[in-house]
Amino acid sequence: ATADTWRYAHEEAASEVQGVFAQKFKEEIEANSEHTLQLFPFGTLGESADIMEQAQSGILQFVNQSPGFTGALIPEAQVFFVPYLLPQDEATLQEFFTNSKAIKEMFPALYAEQGLELLTMYPEGEVCMTTQEPVKSPADLAGVKFRVMTNPLLVESYSAFGATPTPLPWGEVYGALQTGIIQGQENPRFYLDSTKMYEVTDVITCIGHNNFTTAAMANKDFYDGLSDADKTVIANATDAAFEYILGYQSELGKTSFDNILAAKPEMEINILSEAEREPFKATAGPVEAAYIEMTGDTGEAILTQMKADLKAAEVATQ
Amino acid sequence: MTNEQENDMLAASQPLVEPDADILTDDTSALPGVLGVLDIGIAKLEAFMLAAGVLLMALNTVANVIGRVFFESLYFSEELNRILIILITFAGISYAARHGRHIRMSAIYDTLPPKPRKMMTILISLVTAIFMLGLAWYSLQFLLTTMGRGRVLPALQIPVWVTLCWVPMGFVLTGLQYVLTAIKNIIEPDIYLSTNVLEGYDNDEREI
Amino acid sequence: MAWIVFGVMIVLLLLGFPMMIPLMAGTLTGFLLIFGDLSQIETAVQQIVAGIRPASLIAVPMFIFAADIMTRGQSAGRLIDMVMSFVGHLKGGLAVATAAACTMFGAVSGSTQATVVAIGSPLRPRMLKAGYKDSFILALIVNSSDIAFLIPPSIGMIIYGVVSNTSIAELFIAGIGPGLLILVCFSIFSVIYAIRNDVPTEPRANWAQRLKAVQRALWPMGFPAIIIGGIYGGVFSPTEAAAACVLYALILEVVIFRELDLRGVFDTAKSTGLITAVVFILVGAGAAFSWIISFAQIPQAVLGAVGIDDMGSIGVLFVISVAFFIGCMFVDPIVVILVLVPVFAPVVDAIGLDPVHVGIIITLQVAIGSATPPFGCDIFTAIAVFKRPYIEVIRGTPPFIAILLSVSVALIFFPQIALFLRDLAFK
Ligand code: NA
Ligand code: NA
Repeated sequence: ATADTWRYAHEEAASEVQGVFAQKFKEEIEANSEHTLQLFPFGTLGESADIMEQAQSGILQFVNQSPGFTGALIPEAQVFFVPYLLPQDEATLQEFFTNSKAIKEMFPALYAEQGLELLTMYPEGEVCMTTQEPVKSPADLAGVKFRVMTNPLLVESYSAFGATPTPLPWGEVYGALQTGIIQGQENPRFYLDSTKMYEVTDVITCIGHNNFTTAAMANKDFYDGLSDADKTVIANATDAAFEYILGYQSELGKTSFDNILAAKPEMEINILSEAEREPFKATAGPVEAAYIEMTGDTGEAILTQMKADLKAAEVATQ
Repeated sequence: MTNEQENDMLAASQPLVEPDADILTDDTSALPGVLGVLDIGIAKLEAFMLAAGVLLMALNTVANVIGRVFFESLYFSEELNRILIILITFAGISYAARHGRHIRMSAIYDTLPPKPRKMMTILISLVTAIFMLGLAWYSLQFLLTTMGRGRVLPALQIPVWVTLCWVPMGFVLTGLQYVLTAIKNIIEPDIYLSTNVLEGYDNDEREI
Repeated sequence: MAWIVFGVMIVLLLLGFPMMIPLMAGTLTGFLLIFGDLSQIETAVQQIVAGIRPASLIAVPMFIFAADIMTRGQSAGRLIDMVMSFVGHLKGGLAVATAAACTMFGAVSGSTQATVVAIGSPLRPRMLKAGYKDSFILALIVNSSDIAFLIPPSIGMIIYGVVSNTSIAELFIAGIGPGLLILVCFSIFSVIYAIRNDVPTEPRANWAQRLKAVQRALWPMGFPAIIIGGIYGGVFSPTEAAAACVLYALILEVVIFRELDLRGVFDTAKSTGLITAVVFILVGAGAAFSWIISFAQIPQAVLGAVGIDDMGSIGVLFVISVAFFIGCMFVDPIVVILVLVPVFAPVVDAIGLDPVHVGIIITLQVAIGSATPPFGCDIFTAIAVFKRPYIEVIRGTPPFIAILLSVSVALIFFPQIALFLRDLAFK
């Protein structure tokens, strides 16, 4: 077999979850083949949309992009923004990502239409909000200017939660929280730590509405042209990285909050109880309807399948 | 306060710079007949896109602030600005070529005697034109590729390729300006930085 | 490969090609060397467009527009008259005021290019009139504007903080000391310059004159009020402050002072668009060039050959400084941070260097880099706005670069310059 250099770009810094996944993937590839994998973290080859296009055109062999961004290309991928769809229980979540038919069979076809071979989807951690004042119910979000990614479903969700969704480029979020242009934002737990959001907000609130999901993929022409041996190497490396990241992100969710409290002991962290979450959960209906309206029959089919997969995962882990 | 000082102060609060002379003159064309009319038409279109782009960007940004403070943010504001900046840049590069305003380092070039300098100007114009026309071709390919993929802007939900339309156009028009500059330098005795700008920065306020 | 790419670039640059051509030719050469053909050149187009897309860049045309309106009208003149009534009689007073204005404006706007325009366009004609040489004025404006990187808010520090997992709040505080130190050094140099070149002073204004100047400047003083009050009051972001200034400038000059008519507004907008395009096509071409350098992993290769693992902490800090300095000479600062910080992270970690200290050193190099030839956004902006040849804009630069480099060396040996305020606030 020839020794090739493959290139893999992702959306986060090398030390963050996607970077750790990529590093593990690289180690496995390089240990089990003659090939070399070069990693390109966040920003070194452009923004998320840029590296996606580069993977589609084959200049990159691998790319990691979160469905939230892929939604601009594959609308159905926005299903991961439907609140309270993914389970909050870690074991069920892991079972779901391991065996979901929607992820293993339905999404790969959609990605293939865009010239991409979907390798895997994996969770990066529970999404929590950081705000200046405690949030115990939707009423507490009234009048709060809340920064969300420019994604229609996220805007819909936070409107439904009672906040005023406020789009803002990510580079301006830290400063805007500091000066008070906005009073809140949401991100996965580890990201609240690594991007120092706790320095400019006082309260973290987890309402269990989402677990940030991301996806690793390959250029399809490249993948289809590989020998069976190489495909096996990639499949094994994907499995190994997937297994590793499931435990890693779960553990990281805890250590991130420990880190934050160590750096800022007065930070208030509220994990809302089931009862406190109910009024937030009650707002999910219209968002789901908006998703179906945006994505039509394929979207609805995926949503239905995901719900079935989640039921199965729940049963399997009980 | 003496009269003189009073006068000084009044003089000082007059506008500090004269209006941008070479830009404010009506655009002229180096081309004869119908082509010349077309060229002037394009120049006016470029100028309109530049001014309208900048004014719209200011309006859009201010409207977003007012919206956010008093009502709600304009969800599309950032994307609209991104579209405008592409429009301004690519309408502007051909307009800048027309007026000989592209930045270059002319230290060595300036020391050359007139004849080789003229040769250099022709060479530079032609090579630049080739680059611009080449980029026009590849940006058209890029536009078509983007069209095929169907990615949309997340907030506006309009296709991304729409925002790229003026990119190949801007490169084509810039390339043509440099072709014309080369031709102008070949047929005229003087050295031209662009079709209607003679070489040499104005020498006012120049003291090194 | 690096040598061929940079060689092509330098040659075309020296021959006097429009600056976008050396950058594009360097990029093209890179693509040819890596892929053997032009099949992937669409990615270069993608990056040219991507380079001009960041939301923060919107501040540049907006501040150019506002500054242009103010300068063509009366606002800028009245503001400067007021400053002059207080410092006009001091040797070098106007130069020091210019440096301070650049620092303050850069601090709040966060954009070095916007600072070059907003402070430079009104003050340069006034300094010329006062008898300063253009080469000094241009270098003073370009270099003082770069202090903006060091004083919060600073996008460079935010990105460093995220990539290196360092407290952004601590970085912000630590940047203030070196930022002010540079301002002081520039001020001292300006006074020495004014004395040695015997720049004439104006007669000392009395308090009645000063009061009158202040009164005349009341309306225009709305600008600093809008910018500072608006940003720190949480009404808008620095980018939006720029657009708010445009609105205020239009109200002042069109409605109140009646200095501009609608035709004038249109022409000003057109001129703003032209300057923006001339600078942004270079930003875009620079992004494409950065992309191919990053894709080819040239920084990693070069640094691997240097062998930094066996150096002491001072040695490593020097290598970091030199690497960022050289990187920023050719490539956009933000990309340099994104690419190089992870490369150095392991050795910084192993030696146990303070990441805040390292961050400030890097931010300073980035600031120097954007004012250093051959490629520097602020140089391009100054050329486009002031319509001066490249060589004139950089001719007066050496003493300023010397000061900046001295501060970098001092910062390596005396971390307290940066860490003093941080420790006061956080430890
Ligand atoms: Na700043
Ligand atoms: Na530079």
